[in-house]
Order: sequence, then structure tokens, then C-alpha cells
Amino acid sequence: MPDITIKRNDFLREEYYRFRHGSGLEVCVFPKKLSTSYAIFATRYGSIDNRFRLAGDKDFTTVPDGIAHYLEHKLFENPNGDDTFTRYARYGANANAYTSNTMTAYLFSCTSNFDESLGILLDFVTTPYFTPETVEKERGIIAQEIRMYDDHPFRSMYQTLLENLYEKHPVRINVAGTVESISHITSDILYECYRVFYNLSNMVLIVCGDVTVDEVNAVCDKYLKKQAPVEIIRDYPDEKPEVFRAYAEKSMQVSKPLFAIGVKDTDIPSDGYGRMKKYAAYGILNDLMFGKSGEFYNKLYEEGLLSNQFDYGYESSASYAFNGVYGESRDPKEVFERFKARAEWAKSEISAEDFERSKRALYASMVKCFDSTEDIANSFLNYEIEGGDLLDYVDILSKVTQDDVTALAKAAFRPEFYTLAVVNPIV
Amino acid sequence: MGLQNISIADGVRLHCLPTGKFKTNFMSVSFTAPLEAGVNAMNSLIPNILLRGSEKYPDMAAINKRLDYLYAAGISTRCSKRGDVQVFGLCADMLDSSYAIGGEDLVAEMTDMLGELLLHPIKVGEGFDPDYTESEKNNQIDAINASINNKVYYAYRRCIEEMCRGERFGLTETGTVDETSACTPESLFSQYKYALRHYPIEIFFVGQCDADALADRLRSIFSFEREPIALPATEVIRSAAEPKTITEDMPVNQGKLVIGMRSGLTLADPEYPALMLCNAIYGGAVTSKLFMNVREKMSLCYYCQSSPDAAKGLLMIQSGIEVSNREVAEKAILDQLEAVRRGDFTDEEMNGALLFLINSYNELADSARGLENWYLGRMIFNIPGEPDEMVEKLRAVTREDIIAAAKLPTLDTVYFLNGTLCGEDEEDENA
Repeated sequence: MPDITIKRNDFLREEYYRFRHGSGLEVCVFPKKLSTSYAIFATRYGSIDNRFRLAGDKDFTTVPDGIAHYLEHKLFENPNGDDTFTRYARYGANANAYTSNTMTAYLFSCTSNFDESLGILLDFVTTPYFTPETVEKERGIIAQEIRMYDDHPFRSMYQTLLENLYEKHPVRINVAGTVESISHITSDILYECYRVFYNLSNMVLIVCGDVTVDEVNAVCDKYLKKQAPVEIIRDYPDEKPEVFRAYAEKSMQVSKPLFAIGVKDTDIPSDGYGRMKKYAAYGILNDLMFGKSGEFYNKLYEEGLLSNQFDYGYESSASYAFNGVYGESRDPKEVFERFKARAEWAKSEISAEDFERSKRALYASMVKCFDSTEDIANSFLNYEIEGGDLLDYVDILSKVTQDDVTALAKAAFRPEFYTLAVVNPIV
Repeated sequence: MGLQNISIADGVRLHCLPTGKFKTNFMSVSFTAPLEAGVNAMNSLIPNILLRGSEKYPDMAAINKRLDYLYAAGISTRCSKRGDVQVFGLCADMLDSSYAIGGEDLVAEMTDMLGELLLHPIKVGEGFDPDYTESEKNNQIDAINASINNKVYYAYRRCIEEMCRGERFGLTETGTVDETSACTPESLFSQYKYALRHYPIEIFFVGQCDADALADRLRSIFSFEREPIALPATEVIRSAAEPKTITEDMPVNQGKLVIGMRSGLTLADPEYPALMLCNAIYGGAVTSKLFMNVREKMSLCYYCQSSPDAAKGLLMIQSGIEVSNREVAEKAILDQLEAVRRGDFTDEEMNGALLFLINSYNELADSARGLENWYLGRMIFNIPGEPDEMVEKLRAVTREDIIAAAKLPTLDTVYFLNGTLCGEDEEDENA
């Protein structure tokens, strides 16, 4: 049995176990006495990893857009012709997978036969099998997935926002690629990406449920072979701090204009802990600026400039970060002007009372994230991929001061970092 | 465990599901009303106006500050339809009181807050606040118009609308733009008074609480005079007349195919569990015939799935396809149902479908909202039952039962959202 570390948070009344399995895979087990157990097996490989090499390789490899997502689809095939969903179905598990900018995750939930389903998860992800024919067959399915997203106004607007923010960084490309870019994907390129990114040292297994460490370790023993770790060198182009474009609009079949306001952030802490601190400070700052208790939202709602279709959030990763404010409005440009005024307000006028209320509410709302094994495992993974730790986050949040938030507002809110993306109705 | 049903007032019932599993408790107050044209628009607006302000919390900022103070508690509105019944009201979530560092009784505080919002709206003359009314009317009109934004949902809704034209179920839960425009602060207030007096009210609580104390607190809130009406039985059409085909053009990339069938089976029918299994084999699960054939073998789509409507007796099939594949996809979808009718499914498929459904019932126990939603769907129609009992009924279903259930759905309406942008990769974009 490998060395196990236990981490506990008394406020949340939660704890989890972490160990490195003999194969080289990092494993986290989060015990939870619920009916549903949930497991995610993820690799640090997303749509932004399109130019890379292994330490020791001479040249960088550049691959077509959408390949991480294509590979996610193809891993569901097995050498004996069995479909992975059918394998899971024998044990009643509910399986899925997703690809984001920074990772590809394979998951299942179940209420019985956990060990068997975990075995399937570890087995199919570590056994790539596809041929030129089966790769070809997938093209039509993924093309329909891309077309579906193309017709989705919010996703389309979000894409425009990223294209406004970034000139070169690959976060500006669509996770699934385009119908054109996926036409260049072959089984050879898929195998090459698999070899680099599906090394166990680049992956993590998160389990949450009524499950023991011994049980998980035993299944890992059965399905995982020891792998020599690799060092992956990813090549992200340098981005200037300013946005690429301050404004872009498009027309789609929508009833009312949709908008996304972006604030580019290139001042990204290099370590996971530092990024969590900034994320926590941004969480409070956003709540103070745009929260439903605050003046901005309420005033614009009363004026009919905003509806309850309104959201905001700071997204951060090691190589890109930005703050986003999203909604629908009859007048996005007016909302943008009000946003700029609110940003000036945040630099000097946050009251101590509002700060404490906001912090207390965010702190309490963290407790709500611990009622479902799916929520726990997925948020845990999001922190883990970025080098953070979900159970540290509440403490980090509790230590954010009003000065931190004011300093952040002063550094973050500069017009050259702002952009606006709009989807207008077709007239 | 199991649901405790406690009478609060005439036609007001508390359904309490005690469980210590969750850190967050869930509570809802739902009015149940006959789905009626014009009234639906009013019923849908009322909770949104109530959530704008009350005597004690006069605006949204005051309400939300109070919720922040109660450890990030939440209140939201609900409005949906279940068969011919419209369900509208307020939902709340709150941390378990053991997390309240100030020692507050959060169940009591949130019950009082719901009572305050429900019973003490701001009244101006004989109506609601005119500004709040006007802005919520505008929001509802925007939301109705915005149904076009989500093409998958839009196509589904349009198919139901065409299929059930002339039936109550053909109405939406929010009414139309014109019906919304016609609402006034006075007409809405009068409908609100009617709702309080006449609509059956279902209150749910899932989590940790003292059920008797909660019931007493609710009795003091719902202490006004009540004369509950009876809800209509949902009209179920057992088999369809001549099938209709509807095609609608829209400048989008992907075509959306929605096939509406009448299964004629509802939750109250003993054959319903067989239809659930039939659906899982046919198109409800990722190992279903629709997924395995229409998607995996034929590469026609990314999604292709079927789902039964347990209240109205429908079987709906949805897929997003290349416009030029319309005939091929429609035929493939119907062919797969024929396969189930012929008994052309393996024991493994049948067993997989059973395990899939059992798993979803077992997972239900982990979601307070999911449990509430499940029980509410039964309580409205007075169909008692527990998830465990449904599992037993599913286990008892035979191959013959599934084949018999598969033969029941009759084709009513084929709706196609015809994408006219097909082939164009890039949209117009001006920087």
C-alpha cells in the first residue's frame, strides 16, 4: 500500500485521502456516505494543448484544432469491438466524458458494483484502440456536435468573447474545433497525442462516495501498469496584456441581444496556491460588484437593462485568465458603460459592511457544494488540475481582506483590458 | 424513511422527507392550477412579482441582503406544467442550522421569509406595485420570445404545441406574449387572491427538521380562509389520428427533428413501468437502439433520444441532424421502434435498461431537489408511491410486457426545424 495523506477541513466537516499509486497515477478518495459513488479519470490535456513536445523530443508537434475532444470520443471504442457504454451498462453505471480548454475527463456514477465500473474506467482509458475506418465514422457525429454548438447563441457569444480577448493563445479556438479542422484528424495523430498526454504521470483519478482507499487501490493494482513519467513541454504563444479586439458583434436567431463583457488578466500567479488566492479575491470582488444584493444588478434590473439571465465569473488557468460578465439586454453598450462606472466604484468605494456580508455569504455557500458526489468530484478536479486544493479554498477565502479586493480592483480594471462581445437578433 | 404527509389547512399539504444526508435543506411552496389560456400567463407572473418585494423587504436588494445574512440561502420562482396542471410558486434552499455560526434556526427563518413574500406583497390601490408588474411583464415577454434561443428546446416545444393544439397541454406554462401584455396590476392581484383561496397548495421539505414544529409554523402562515377547487384530470389521447408533418424554416446550421407519439400510458397505468423499460431500450439510455444505431452505426447525429411524458401519455423523440438527412433519420428512428416491437432486443439490452433505471432511482435519493420533483409529480395526481416500489415494479416487467408497451405508441406529429444556413461554416462577424 502506498503512503496516504489525509486532509481534513473542520468547517466543512469533510476529509479526503490522497496517494500516488504504484503505476505513477495520483489518486484522491473523498469518502461520502451517499448512495451514489462517482469517479473521474482525467488527463491534463485540453483544447489549448495544440503545440507540444516531450522532454527529449527534438521538435514541437502542432496538431489540428479539436483533437483532444476527438480523442475523447474515440477512446470509447475497445479492441474486442465492445462499446464502452455497453460495458458499463452491464453493471448499471451511468458514464460520460467531457473535454475543456485544459483537460479531458472520463467519469461514471453508480449505486452498486463500484469496483467493476472503476475497472472499466481505468481499462478503457488506458487502452486506446481505433483504426482509420472508425476514426472516419466519428467525423459525422462530431460535425453534428459542432453544428449544434454553432447554433447555440450563448456558446457562440462566449467564443467571440475569447476571440476578442486573445490574439494568439489557443484558448480562442473552439474546444471541438471546426468542421474543417477535424477533417485533418487521422488515427496516427490521435495515437501521437495519446502517447504524450495519457501518460499516468499527467493524469489524476478522483473518487467520491461510500468507497475506501483500499478498494480503490486494489482496482488500480489490477488495471494499471507502472509507467515511466514523462515531462510534457507545452508551447503557448506570448499574449500582450491588452485585449486583441475591444468589440465584436454577430447576428443570430435570438430574441434580444446577448452580451459578454470580458476583462483580460495576464498577471497570473505562477503557482496553484497563488491562483486560488486571486480566484478567491475575485470571487468576493465580483459578488460586491455584480451580486444580486448589490446596486449594479438591482438598478439595471429595475431600469429593464438586465434580466435574471445574468451571470459573472473569473476563469483562471496557468496560461490564461479573464473575468466575464454575461447577460441579455436591449442595450449592451449601455450595460458596458455602467460596467466601467462600477469598476471605478470598486477601486475606492466598497464599504466594510458590504465586504463582510459578501465574504460571509460566499463562505457559507461553499458548504452547499458538498451535498453531491458529482459536485464534489468535479470541483475537486477543477482545483486539482490547476494545482490547487478544494479543501484549502474555504480557508483561503476566509483570509481575503478588503485591502486585497480593493488592490485587485485597481490592478484589474483598466480600459485596455476590457472587451465587449454581442450577439444581435437577425433583422 | 418515507414521505410524511401532514395537513396544514384545507387543500394545503406539507410533505416532509426527513433526512440527515444533506448539508443543505430544500423547501418549496407550489400552487397547482388547471392549465388555462390567459390564466397561465398570470400564474406564471405572480411568483416573479412576489419576489420583487414585500412589506418587510421592499425590493430585491433587501430580499437578497436578508438571504445573504441567512448564510447564502436562496429563493427562486418555479413555473411548470405537469399534464393539464400548472405548477407555480417559490422554492428555497438553506444550510442546515448546525452550520449557522450565529445559532439561527434557519428552517424557521426561511419559512417565515417564504410566508412574508407569499402573503405580504407590496400593494398599491387594488393591485400589485405597478413598476414591479410592468418590469416582470416585460421580463416574461422577453423570456417567451427567448424560447427561440435554444433550438433544441424550441423544436421540442413547437412539436408539442402542434401535436396538442386544442388540448390544454398544447398551452405553455407561461402563456403567450399577448396574454402577458394584457395583465394589469389589478387583474394580477385579483388572480393572486384567487390562487391563495382556491388552488391546492403542496409544500415540500427535504432535509433535517422537526416536522411538527414546521407544520405548526406553516399553520400560522396559512391561517386564512380556503375553498380549494378540484384539479382537472389530464386528457390522455390513447391513440393518434392521421399523422401530421410540420416544417419550419430558420436560419440555423442544424436541422432539428422531433417526433411526437401518443403512448396513451401515464403514471397511473399499470403498464407504465413496461413503457419505461421500452423507452430505455429504444432511446432513453446511451446503450439504447437510437444511440447505438442512429448515432454510432449511421453517424447521423450527435444526439438522438426518446423520453416519455408520464402525465400526458406521450413518447417524444428528438435529434439534431444534417438537413439533407431528414428522410433517412426519420426512417431510421421509426425502424428502431419497429425492432423493439418485434422483440428484436437481447436479454443484455433488457438487463442494461433495467439496471439503468434502477440506478437512476437509487441516485434520486442523493438529490433533495430530485426527490421533491419526483414526489411532487405524483402528489399532484394523488398517486402514492416510493422510489423503491417503482424499482420492484420494474423488476417484475417481462419481455412480453415490453413488446406490448412498444406497440402502443402511435405517430402523431413529425416536426422539423429546417436549417437554412447549412453548408456555411462562418457567420458574419464585424470587428
